[in-house]
Amino acid sequence: MRIKAKLKGDKTEVKVMMKHPMLSYRQAKKKGKEANFIVYVTAKNEGATVYEVSTSQFLSKNPYMKFYFKGGKKGEEVEISWLDLKGKTKTGKAKIK
Amino acid sequence: MERRKFLGLGAGLAVAVAAAPSMLMAVNYREKLPDVWKIKNDEKAKGEDMNGVNAAIKAIFGTDKVEEGKIKLKAPAIAENGAVVPVSFKAEGAKKIALMQTADPETVVAIFDVPERGIPDYSVRIKMQQTGHVVVVADIDGKLYKADKVVKVTVGGCGG
Repeated sequence: MRIKAKLKGDKTEVKVMMKHPMLSYRQAKKKGKEANFIVYVTAKNEGATVYEVSTSQFLSKNPYMKFYFKGGKKGEEVEISWLDLKGKTKTGKAKIK
Repeated sequence: MERRKFLGLGAGLAVAVAAAPSMLMAVNYREKLPDVWKIKNDEKAKGEDMNGVNAAIKAIFGTDKVEEGKIKLKAPAIAENGAVVPVSFKAEGAKKIALMQTADPETVVAIFDVPERGIPDYSVRIKMQQTGHVVVVADIDGKLYKADKVVKVTVGGCGG
């Protein structure tokens, strides 16, 4: 997972690229594999949830997301976690610049 | 002894399974509204069928009374690669936002819950297997608003 977090005035801009094949049911069937994709993503700043989305098979492969949240300080952490259909989770962190 | 061991293990597993999602979850719509993700677009309509979108709006927000406006939606008029279609939208004051499309077998792409410190100015990249509408619906002060944009896809995104 690649995360960039940048303070812009009174808000923080976050860009994240998650590594995941995001195999839709149709794609999986063609490849003879099981469908699997990220279903839930959250971002936290110093313990507070600042971004939350439930997702489907129709996000692109290696999903990219950009979002903003109020506040944040340089040097604080942004922690992003995802959960996929098979229950696997991954968490990444970045410091706000 | 055997039985005790077995029970102990069972309890441990149950805790592990329960703990993993609950650390993340606030509102996971895959669990809360599992049927929403199964709502289908009519594939014979070649991206023009809005019934899936209307059904999804009702299932997610509880009503299908929707007004135009308040949402700024950006999506390319023509996408050369349906596998990666950049979509971004701003819906100031929104508490909940749904992103949908009419191009793929199922309708719903994502549901955002906007936390207290969240700013509903979001960008994602989606897959579209053919030309279709991208629709964003947001709950702003208890009212639903909608934005709709047609994206012409020249190479499909779901073929593999």
